[in-house]
Amino acid sequence: MPKEWTNWSESIKFSPEVTKRPQSEEEVQQTVIKARADEKKIRVVGAGHSSVPLVKTDQILLAQDRLKGLVGHNPQARSVKFLPGTDIKETGEALIKLKLSMHNTGDVDMQFLGGAFGTGTHGSGKKLKNLSSMVIGCRLVDGTGSVREITENEPDLLNASRISLGALGIFTEFTLQTDPAKKYLRQESWTHFQDCIDNLEDLIDNNEMFDFYWYPRNDLVKLRMCNPVVNDGANFSFGKAEKEVQGWLYEILPQDRDLKYEEMEYMLPIAAGPDCFREIRKRIKKKHRHYVGWRVLYRTIAADDMYLSPSYQQDTVSIAILQNHQLEYQSYFDDIEPIFRAYGGRPHWGKKHSLTSDELGLLYPEWNRFLELRKELDPEGIFLNDYLKQILGI
Amino acid sequence: MKRKYGKKTWCFPGGFIPVESSGKEPEFLSKDEIAVLNTTEKDATVKISIYYADQDPVTGYAIQVNAQRVRQFRINDLIDPQAVPLGVPYGAVLESDVPIVVQWTKQITAEGRMGIMGAMAYPADGDS
Repeated sequence: MPKEWTNWSESIKFSPEVTKRPQSEEEVQQTVIKARADEKKIRVVGAGHSSVPLVKTDQILLAQDRLKGLVGHNPQARSVKFLPGTDIKETGEALIKLKLSMHNTGDVDMQFLGGAFGTGTHGSGKKLKNLSSMVIGCRLVDGTGSVREITENEPDLLNASRISLGALGIFTEFTLQTDPAKKYLRQESWTHFQDCIDNLEDLIDNNEMFDFYWYPRNDLVKLRMCNPVVNDGANFSFGKAEKEVQGWLYEILPQDRDLKYEEMEYMLPIAAGPDCFREIRKRIKKKHRHYVGWRVLYRTIAADDMYLSPSYQQDTVSIAILQNHQLEYQSYFDDIEPIFRAYGGRPHWGKKHSLTSDELGLLYPEWNRFLELRKELDPEGIFLNDYLKQILGI
Repeated sequence: MKRKYGKKTWCFPGGFIPVESSGKEPEFLSKDEIAVLNTTEKDATVKISIYYADQDPVTGYAIQVNAQRVRQFRINDLIDPQAVPLGVPYGAVLESDVPIVVQWTKQITAEGRMGIMGAMAYPADGDS
């Protein structure tokens, strides 16, 4: 009997006919070739942290958990090669042994590289791009079973591949551009919402990494700053300092996340962030906080050139709303989503949203080019499931 | 002097946090607030269960109160394992691993007015 698969937040459940766990690129290739011969569909899965049914299938689920580890290092270029089933924490641990670091991470470090890159996972920092921007090359098995090596010499294909929802092929290796490792100081401070919003521009501009949590049940804000220790850290005349910690980025950025939640997150033009946030705060206080206690997260991400990046050619603010996974979230998300959209928001690919291809296509200038490349790499649609067909319009 | 005042199990039945508040928050928030005094020389882990009129209790809330310290917290802010709903009657049971003293305070600021009341919780040690 097929074993049921469940995502991290337990809102996605399905039973694949079979789960394959290849240990090599050759095994991935053989799985695709056989699936093609058998006219079966394949979806690839990482750590299962996403809360949309990108990986859902009743046929072949290809798990990346045995494709793990550092497999190459060029010290001069500070580039490294990782297998796609390496998680963010393992990546940080492997890099520090080479005195290297990712440029940023998010709050969560359980995602596999394949899933994190595939959905546009990001941290926060006005000048820092999302994690997929580290990808300067990759290898993937396409829908015909061929292995493709994609480098910066093919910017068109590379910019389509960096965030591709598992729709172009199954990654078997990433080449990443890393930074020299350095120690950072992370500071957290409590203040009132108004102090935060009055000083928001300075907080964003004067800290390498800055984000804040707003708590709808008390109107307080937790400011979170992270800067290289060579700086003095953040200084300001308001707020109550709560926590300071020094360490490598991969150690001090992620937070413990035992408590499960559902999440909707949109990226919008950076200038629209404060007004959008004010409107969301007002709506939550008026309509939702009697059953919503979870915080709202505000972050910034630098512009990039990846075709399906929510930060494509615009510096962005991301605003995320969260709800305990056991409580009602749909009516909350449904009510807030039009506010995100009114401010030009693009949804996070791995989190809850309601958009379909007609709406998504208008948000991404290179949408059609991505679809052309998808068809070229997977002409028979072996990597498509119902959800991908719905959001890509296939 | 070694002190261990209080009891390990406390209850209060009259919880209710109005949905509406008026004035600057958090100072003028409608809230139920719990104050815990731990006079012992050991940190207290206090487990909280919330009881409702029409659904099963939700268990698994926990707070830490350091040795020889007080801690005050709003029921409004509890989200783990899930947010306590506003505008809904509830009762609570607090179970500590060391003796503590528990007081609860209610502040209501709905409709531009403010009312405050406080009472000791019921010490339930020995009840069954």
